[in-house]
Amino acid sequence: MSHASVSDSSAPAPWTDAAPSSGGSPRSAGALLRALVMPVVFAAFATYLLVGMLVMDVPDSVDFPGPRFFPAIITGVIYVLVVVQIITVVRHWSSGTLGDTDDAAPAIFSWRSLIWVIGGFLAFSLLLEFLGWILGAALLFWCVARGFGSKRPLVSLIIGLTVSSVAYIAFDMALGLSLPSGILGGGF
Amino acid sequence: METLSLLMEGFAGALTWQNLFWVVLGCFLGTAVGVMPGLGSSMAVALLLPVTFALEPTAAFIMFSGVYFGGLFGDSTMGILMNTPGQASAIASTFEGHKMALDGRAPQALATAAIGAFVGGFIASGVVVFLAPFLAEFSTQFGPAEFFALALFAFMATSSVVTDSAVKGLLSLAFGLGIAVVGIDGVTGIPRFTMDSPFLFDGISLVTVTVAVLALGEVIYFATIARFQREGQMIRSKGRPWLSKKELREAAPAWARGTAIGLPFGVVPAGGSEIPTFLAYGAERKLDRRRHDPQFGKGAIRGLAAPEAAGNSTTGMAMGALLALGLPISATAAIMLAAFRQYGLQPGPLLFERAPDLVWALLASFFIAMVVLLIINLPFAMVWAKLLLIPRHYLYAGITVFCGLGIYATSGSSFDLLLLLGVGIVGFLMRMHDYPLAPLIIGMVLGPLAETSLRDALISADGDASVLVQGPIALTLYGLLAIVLLVTLRSKITSRTKRDT
Repeated sequence: MSHASVSDSSAPAPWTDAAPSSGGSPRSAGALLRALVMPVVFAAFATYLLVGMLVMDVPDSVDFPGPRFFPAIITGVIYVLVVVQIITVVRHWSSGTLGDTDDAAPAIFSWRSLIWVIGGFLAFSLLLEFLGWILGAALLFWCVARGFGSKRPLVSLIIGLTVSSVAYIAFDMALGLSLPSGILGGGF
Repeated sequence: METLSLLMEGFAGALTWQNLFWVVLGCFLGTAVGVMPGLGSSMAVALLLPVTFALEPTAAFIMFSGVYFGGLFGDSTMGILMNTPGQASAIASTFEGHKMALDGRAPQALATAAIGAFVGGFIASGVVVFLAPFLAEFSTQFGPAEFFALALFAFMATSSVVTDSAVKGLLSLAFGLGIAVVGIDGVTGIPRFTMDSPFLFDGISLVTVTVAVLALGEVIYFATIARFQREGQMIRSKGRPWLSKKELREAAPAWARGTAIGLPFGVVPAGGSEIPTFLAYGAERKLDRRRHDPQFGKGAIRGLAAPEAAGNSTTGMAMGALLALGLPISATAAIMLAAFRQYGLQPGPLLFERAPDLVWALLASFFIAMVVLLIINLPFAMVWAKLLLIPRHYLYAGITVFCGLGIYATSGSSFDLLLLLGVGIVGFLMRMHDYPLAPLIIGMVLGPLAETSLRDALISADGDASVLVQGPIALTLYGLLAIVLLVTLRSKITSRTKRDT
């Protein structure tokens, strides 16, 4: 971890790291794409269900409303709703009223924060069992605080380590939940 | 009276030092999370859900009820002082409440809200105590067709009534239902949608999805978008939070009316306390217009008292509906239902027979929670507001760590953490595009019930679908559903035409 190298770098203020999101005008292609993100996600999910139903092994002995019955209804409903939603979005887009609906672009969107928070959590998930709870959670804390525009990395690190240690004492030692001790636990 | 003696036994169970500690802790935590701007009671319950598994069931649920009600108390405190309601159900009380605070009557507003919440919650708890056993008795007549009708009612009402776009609500619902079918099929034992991964055989944990959608997604949303939005200044409340006799006389009928409006909504699965709070607010405004000296718009005490009482009376009744019918009417109640299942308990008629100790101790703890909340909220609202001094980046970093803690502690695998992240990102996208999240949770909780009862009903009738619409209970439910949908449609059309002209 290279917290030392960034501790003195001039961390940007939370206001400057966020550029006003592009594609603000309701007729731009960016606005259309943004409004179509959710329909596409849902369509992908429905397709996952569809494929799952096709590869499922169902013995002939199973009575009529079998394991595919309910998922089939859900999949069909999702596809229909996705089509309706896409039509709605495209109609709003072509009439220039997309900005009036809920799918208006937020005034400011910080990609930098998005990457810090998601990246931090991803690293935490993958490294937790190796690093152990105290280091892993402190890393997560530090990344998220950074994503929220925290300007003092060293302070964040100390607070993060305190939070993770207190959580370890309270939940692992006192309440008996099981948290990994990792490299600090001497498990090598 | 048998009910009273059972309740007394419940008090005996709830008033042990240990349980008292958990209810007080729950009240403190709930209020603390509710007070944070943007954090509502459903997030509090979602975050605490995994942690409570370390406790024994009675203690866990007693703590939960404290968190649940505490969140509602805290939500309104910030709504009044900062104009930032933590949850949709606190919006209606913010209108007049914040105006009262602007007018220099912040202590009175806080007192009105706290007493209103207390009155609503206390009366509702009283009604639940006497009504729940009857409801439970009644629901023993439910067969698969009736349970399917009930689930369908909950699905349609939650996804279309509260939300602006029915399509978005239904998509969110269908997504929840879809997540719930992953895993081994309960009827035939065939694995479904698991990609042969043993991680998915048990299905996707509701705890993971709840924490992902209600907590982690919210953190991402706040980091990328919400923290750049302008926030109101907090108004300092000076003076003793107490009401004069005149103000009490003014507010009392509004508390009573609000409670009465809120009660029936506790058993109607229509998204929780959002609708009744607005109805109570609207009713008070109509009454106000007939007076010589209309107060609305200038900080009307009644405009705050009624929705506060309505919100908590709905919440109280909702707990009754959850215990007696197994029917969650809001996202928070759905999480509680999930918690019951985690302990191997199925809310509904049988719960009163199988775990009477737990049920009655829980019901008794509602009353205790109300009293504790009144004590810790009425005089100390400004102390709670000090929580805002916690820097935002550390607060949210802490919440994220807590998400990871809860999920890893319950599942013990990194796979669930990755799943948490994935669903959290979807939840964030949904939040960004104004998709309601409550239908997702309700779909996931009630999906298995809907599927098994639908299939059981069809199998027992050899695939004859008409079995679903037989019997007076099922028909009544469908009739009610039709009425609810028609009323919603009508109000949506009228509000649209009003907006256009």
